Amino acid sequence: MQFALERNAGAAMLRVSGHGKMFGIKINTRRLINGSLSFLALAAIIALFFAYRSHAQHLIAHNVPVSLEHLPYYAFCSFYRMLAAYIIALIFSIIYGMAAARGGLYERILIPAIDIAQSVPVVGFFPAAVYFFVALAHGSRLGVEMAAIFLIFTSQAWNMALGVYEAVKTIPDDSRDALESFGARGWLKFKRLLMPASVPKLVYNSILSWVAGWYFLIACEIITVGPASYRLPGLGSFLWEAAENGRNFDLAAGLLTLLAIIVLMDMIVWQPLSAWAEKFRYEFAASSGAAQSLGMLDALAGVGPAITRAIRSILLPPMRLIASALNAMPRGPQLSPEQSRRAGRMVRTLVIGAIVIFTAWALGRGFFALIRTLSQPWPSDAKQIPAAILASTIRMTVAYAISLAWTVPCALAASESPRFNRILSPIAEIVGSMPATALFPVIVIFVIQVTGGMNLASILLILTGMQWYLLFNLLAGVNQVPEDLKEAARAFGLSRYARWRKLILPAVMPSLITGSITAWGGGWNALILSEYFVYKSQTYQVIGIGALLDAATYKTGNGVMILLSLLSMILVVLLLNRLMWRPLYNLATERYRLDY
Amino acid sequence: MALLEIKHISKNFAHAKGTLQVLDDISFDVDVGEFVAIVGPSGCGKSTLLRIINGIVPMTSGQVLYRGRQVDGINLECALVFQSFALLPWLSVKANVELGLEAQGLPLAEREKRAGIYIDKVGLDGFEEAYPRELSGGMKQRVGFARALAVEPKVLLMDEPFSALDALTAITLREEMLDIWQAPDMPVKNIVLVTHIIEEAIELADRVIVMSAGPGRIVKDLKVELPRPRDRRAETFNALTDKVFSLIEERG
Repeated sequence: MQFALERNAGAAMLRVSGHGKMFGIKINTRRLINGSLSFLALAAIIALFFAYRSHAQHLIAHNVPVSLEHLPYYAFCSFYRMLAAYIIALIFSIIYGMAAARGGLYERILIPAIDIAQSVPVVGFFPAAVYFFVALAHGSRLGVEMAAIFLIFTSQAWNMALGVYEAVKTIPDDSRDALESFGARGWLKFKRLLMPASVPKLVYNSILSWVAGWYFLIACEIITVGPASYRLPGLGSFLWEAAENGRNFDLAAGLLTLLAIIVLMDMIVWQPLSAWAEKFRYEFAASSGAAQSLGMLDALAGVGPAITRAIRSILLPPMRLIASALNAMPRGPQLSPEQSRRAGRMVRTLVIGAIVIFTAWALGRGFFALIRTLSQPWPSDAKQIPAAILASTIRMTVAYAISLAWTVPCALAASESPRFNRILSPIAEIVGSMPATALFPVIVIFVIQVTGGMNLASILLILTGMQWYLLFNLLAGVNQVPEDLKEAARAFGLSRYARWRKLILPAVMPSLITGSITAWGGGWNALILSEYFVYKSQTYQVIGIGALLDAATYKTGNGVMILLSLLSMILVVLLLNRLMWRPLYNLATERYRLDY
Repeated sequence: MALLEIKHISKNFAHAKGTLQVLDDISFDVDVGEFVAIVGPSGCGKSTLLRIINGIVPMTSGQVLYRGRQVDGINLECALVFQSFALLPWLSVKANVELGLEAQGLPLAEREKRAGIYIDKVGLDGFEEAYPRELSGGMKQRVGFARALAVEPKVLLMDEPFSALDALTAITLREEMLDIWQAPDMPVKNIVLVTHIIEEAIELADRVIVMSAGPGRIVKDLKVELPRPRDRRAETFNALTDKVFSLIEERG
């Protein structure tokens, strides 16, 4: 043990003294490179923004032709929509997650709220959001933009907020005590403890959020070209129009552009950020080897910290200013601790009271509007809803069965062969991070041309929204099975089949259920998109709740029908969650949890 | 004169089915310059007691007086050393040590100077820029000591500081900390140590307070009058160890 101590000490000593003086210079050059890189990146973004904005203003007035030369414009529109939504989601998730982590009443309200928000199919709200924001923006195109950004935001914010909440919740008590015993509070506590502790989960969830965001962004853009009468220039609309007009070259170029943006983002932003986030981890799993990085990634590794440094240097001064302004505020009469506690409680009661009253007012108004709408005569279509829901659920079940049929064997194979795992994981990650919605135009148009109907296309589209969640969760589950247990199973001479049945399948059960819940969530969203398409001004649809919703929104414009289909779908989703997935999840985590 | 007066402290934790009493009517004084050890079986609430003295955990009833005055909230004259080290993994050794000074609002130059002094004192010279994960357990706890000492507290509160270390490292570190404490230029004169290792308490402390569990009560308050440096193999040392051990066992 003594030996171990000295060996460690020696290694660390080597690190420090070996770089000693040179280290100082090295840091300086690295800082220089980082600084100039972030400056260049910022300048490039600003320049491109202005270049394309003038272009854009010109183009909004007319109609943007779908052609190769305008592809960069479309790509930038999509990217800015994503970035705007992400920044809002980031700020929101930090505030929301940290508020929820304070516990008590906040926790009891905010966490179930996320639960509900997450299980509601977001795409269904796009029409409603468009009407709301277009009215808000007095009918300008800005309203459609805002609706799209809002929708992308709702697909990004929840998991990030939950990540922050979990990270802050799992900060060891001793760390909190250490800061508290020094009297560190407020800004210092946020800067030194809460924010750093949230970094790993925030980065990880940001990656997931961007994947989800691309999916919905493309979806919004496609919806607007297809059935709706307003348009949203972006890669989604570009792809759809290119597909509809049979311009295969443009279609391929659009898909490649999207792929390039996603791969570049991954290399320049997410990989370095993930590596950097490792620094903020509390526990270090020694066995799960660090992600292998390519030479180029190492070269780019400075960019992630540079970007965060740039963001920090932009955000920090105003935050400091606010903090110092708060500090400089006149103290007023000295209050005794008891008095100040009372004052604090009063302020909090007032603020929470205001929020509660506002929410109650908004809910009340919404409720009355709902009642008023629903008390109008129901259209005859309403009778189709039960059958439509049944048909949709069957389509969902078929897609789920297909997903299970290929992901479970894949996960089992990955548990058998580390090599297969090493090959499968990165491929799945790349393919899974492509927004499947980008392929919708190709799939739909191809299948319609071949079969003349939508049923097969619909199931295929739902599948693209479901399968990756299952695969990723299963692979994560397989990787979490402790090496000890696998060795024990092998040492006792269990056959391959027995090993799967006794060890691997029970161990991945919680992951399977979690994956299934998210897969069904993704599936419902895809469902709304998958049941109704307008192709060459002809409507293709199947019997289903998504088709009813879309038809009501875009064709008949019947508010009662929109509401009824949305409500019945949400009801089914919530019922399925409560009655099936929640009990299954509790059972799985209870019985098959891996702590021993 | 008593530096710390702990008066009739009780602590209840709210529980799913009612309340759980962890501390029952704890009273003792800590005199100026005294090294007090609190020993007891696990679950006797000794760590909670230490946090109550520091003011980061509220008591249910009772009082803690510091220099005869009641402290409201956190007593910044105290500094805590943790069993788990409680270092922030994203901060370098230096930044970790500066944490308390930063909370005091000291300017950067002053912070760096003070952190440097105490990093030297605990023997981590040259490791200022290292991160906690690069250090062994013993070195991590040295950072923990430096961080607590850097704020130059009047009372050092130690919560099982050697329990997470292997036996040999613990012995080395214990001796070194004793040397640091006894050095003439050391501003920290008072220590309250919580431990479940009886030998550790007797080796280090002027006084040993023996506690029993469920709820935590004081069983005995013993003066340790063995001459320093103390020999763990001496007859008198073993006699005292046995005595404390039987006190705990009787109640356990």
